[in-house]
Amino acid sequence: MSVIAPAIDANPLREGLEQERVPDASCLVIFGASGDLTQRKLIPALYSLAHDGLLPPGQTIIGYARPDYTDDAFRMAMREACDKFARTRPVDEAVWENFAKGLFYVRGEFSEPDGILRLNAKLKECDETRGTGGRRIYYLAVPPQFFPTITELLGREKMVNDPEQRGPFTRAIIEKPFGHDLASARELNRVAVTTFRERQVFRIDHYLGKETVQNLLVLRFANGIFEPFWNRQYIDHVQVTVAESIGVEKRGPYFETSGISRDIIQNHMLQLVSLIGMEPPVAFEADAVRDEKVKVLRALREFPRGHETDVSVRGQYTDGSVLGDKAIAYRKEVNVNPNSNVETYAALKIFIDNWRWADVPFYLRAGKRLPKRVTDISIHFRPAPYPLFNKLTHVTMQPNVLAIRIQPDEGISLKFDSKVPGPTVRTSPVTMEFRYATSFGAEPPEAYERLLLETMLGDSTLFARRDEVETAWAWLDPLLNSWAADPIGPELYPSGTWGPEAADRLIERDGRKWRRP
Amino acid sequence: MTDITGADVRVDVNAIEKSLSELWRGQQDGEDAVTRAALWNVVAHTSTSEAHVLAAETLGRASGVVPQRTIVIRANPAAEAELTSWISANCHLVGGGKQVCSEEINIVAGGDRIHRIPPVVNALLIPDMPVAFWWIGDLPNEHEEYVELLLGPADRLIVDSVHFDSPADLALVSRIGEQTATAPADLNWVRLEEWRAATASIFDPPPMRNRLNAIRRIRVISGSSNHEFFGESVESLLFASWLSAQVGHTVDANGKVEGAAGSIDYVFERRHQSTDIGGIVLVEISFEDGACASIARDRERGVLVANVDGSVMVQSVTRTLAQRTDQLIVRQLKRIDGDRVLRRVLPIAIKLAKRVA
Repeated sequence: MSVIAPAIDANPLREGLEQERVPDASCLVIFGASGDLTQRKLIPALYSLAHDGLLPPGQTIIGYARPDYTDDAFRMAMREACDKFARTRPVDEAVWENFAKGLFYVRGEFSEPDGILRLNAKLKECDETRGTGGRRIYYLAVPPQFFPTITELLGREKMVNDPEQRGPFTRAIIEKPFGHDLASARELNRVAVTTFRERQVFRIDHYLGKETVQNLLVLRFANGIFEPFWNRQYIDHVQVTVAESIGVEKRGPYFETSGISRDIIQNHMLQLVSLIGMEPPVAFEADAVRDEKVKVLRALREFPRGHETDVSVRGQYTDGSVLGDKAIAYRKEVNVNPNSNVETYAALKIFIDNWRWADVPFYLRAGKRLPKRVTDISIHFRPAPYPLFNKLTHVTMQPNVLAIRIQPDEGISLKFDSKVPGPTVRTSPVTMEFRYATSFGAEPPEAYERLLLETMLGDSTLFARRDEVETAWAWLDPLLNSWAADPIGPELYPSGTWGPEAADRLIERDGRKWRRP
Repeated sequence: MTDITGADVRVDVNAIEKSLSELWRGQQDGEDAVTRAALWNVVAHTSTSEAHVLAAETLGRASGVVPQRTIVIRANPAAEAELTSWISANCHLVGGGKQVCSEEINIVAGGDRIHRIPPVVNALLIPDMPVAFWWIGDLPNEHEEYVELLLGPADRLIVDSVHFDSPADLALVSRIGEQTATAPADLNWVRLEEWRAATASIFDPPPMRNRLNAIRRIRVISGSSNHEFFGESVESLLFASWLSAQVGHTVDANGKVEGAAGSIDYVFERRHQSTDIGGIVLVEISFEDGACASIARDRERGVLVANVDGSVMVQSVTRTLAQRTDQLIVRQLKRIDGDRVLRRVLPIAIKLAKRVA
């Protein structure tokens, strides 16, 4: 007996497999394929996805750039990149061989219509030979000034499908910086939406691809014990540290125009703040999560006009040593102005003006050439309401601290006081620790692996939305303008220290101190 | 600081927990302090000394990836009456030169003393942590009081169906899954994962998906010894049952399979070989229009290769996964929930077993 079977939308054979979500095969075009990002991050991440069986058989990657490569030369260069940078090494020959069959290269200038036409022809050919069905992802791994030209050409050549029409998807991935200030961010967004709809645009902030950053949502909203305490009633203050031990390296020209505030605070750090501060979303869906994040950004208190230094400190590293190695001053770095006033360190005291967080200070600091590389969030709880043990000697009660280590040595620890065994009442702080490496063993996937896969699957939860980007700039712009107008410039700090002394004063005048991460 | 790795410390059965605490005391200070960690209680049940050694070694390796409190039991009612125990630690280096250690407890019981094992084991389980029971050797009769008491706290029962000698063993595991809170887990099912992934990849392209409704014949070839033991055919059975379960075929009591396009012919073949006994060698899936998909193991390249005749589908390559017992157990323990697909597959496998018995 036979029955009429309904059409099958999802592949039922994927149920229960580790690779439960595998996207439909598409053509991923990387504009700027000869660049560092492609070699260090994108292709190694795509290869690792293939290695783990997370790419569909026909997935196709087309590099587009100026140098005159053949497909084979491009494959060879990408193989070297995977040998050096892939998470899953050594490269598996059989997996690579199959992966490389889907790697192609088209030479062209970003503004060259003929190049885009050649690309379009290649895309159509891949639809025929590799079953990519007209599905497109354009990764703009290029400086922002090329965005308008590329998107305009893609639109003109009808290489972008409107999601309102039923048809294969087209998506665009944009790398930070998402502008230099509010005006330029708005212009970039305007350009993007002349060709794409907002839901087709995936703005990558690689911090959101990190397991530990995603775990912030799980920690807060999958556990019943934290949420009741996650508010002004129980939390005294929050600290966020993004420290790097390296200097600007070869990125002098970029850093001269960005500084640490544009490079770290406007994006990575505000993403962390919004994840710590957000209300529970109505669903774990892209817009529901991003709606709540943007509400936090909208509630950030404006910097006090004319009194910005009361809540902010900027610094710049000078000669010193980091981890025993001599480190030169920022102004002596290659391609850096010897009189530069660009900040390589910033510390801020900010507030989220809403019911949950009213008057709870968030102390943020980010810097280069600090003693170590670490990203760490610490939630400092209020002390016990009545000091029951303070009359006893040997008792120093310390506030509880929940510390979330984003990188490296990812994990979570909770500090609390405990009685020291013995006949007298002595207390000592102890920590309960959870470490990813200890509990889960396996190395987590690279942020780009997760983000590329999510783009292919069409889930934008882990990407910045237009209003998030613009709200962040709208809040930060006045501070950056006041700094630009200030002739004094940043306070210098020796490389290998935790920043300028003014940063310590910023927090110490509130009777608190920076946590040593 | 004393080194806690390696040496077994003989302890009194009534003071195992206390002895473990003493083992850890003094490990907390110093830069090279060890971290004691556990995500699971894993209890291995054996009845011979060879199996005991094998279980301890296997779980020792597994604890490097999934930290666990390991309890290895050797129970032999025919042996001389005795009850002894010893403890040790399995330590592994993780990033930053830190040592993470898991505890291992060994209990040997003979004669009527085996009845003391269930209460001793229950008292040694770390609270609020899941319990996996790995049964090595003949399957237990779940109605025996001894077995009932042992499996009572188990969240998972791990078996290896490659050792099953009849379909009744499959039925027993299926029944435990249906009638108790213990989720069945089969290492043979874990071995099958790469075949499931490779087969799934064939049906990932949207045009291929509807072909699931057009399957007319499934041929599975597996490696076989000269003994033709039932366990050798279980991997093939589980594979075929999985396809049927996921596509929505109906299987009657005699193992006859009906799909959307009519009856489906299942062919199980055995190929004599000296290695990988019971493992699938080749799968062919034929469709209504005469086209055929195949998945074959390319042993040299360490992959499974999937192809479809007369389709634009690009060849799919699936990396084969490590198959050592400790690696299979690790993959099993990394799954926090019971495997709902396996629960669905087992009753079908029992029916299809009539076609290979």
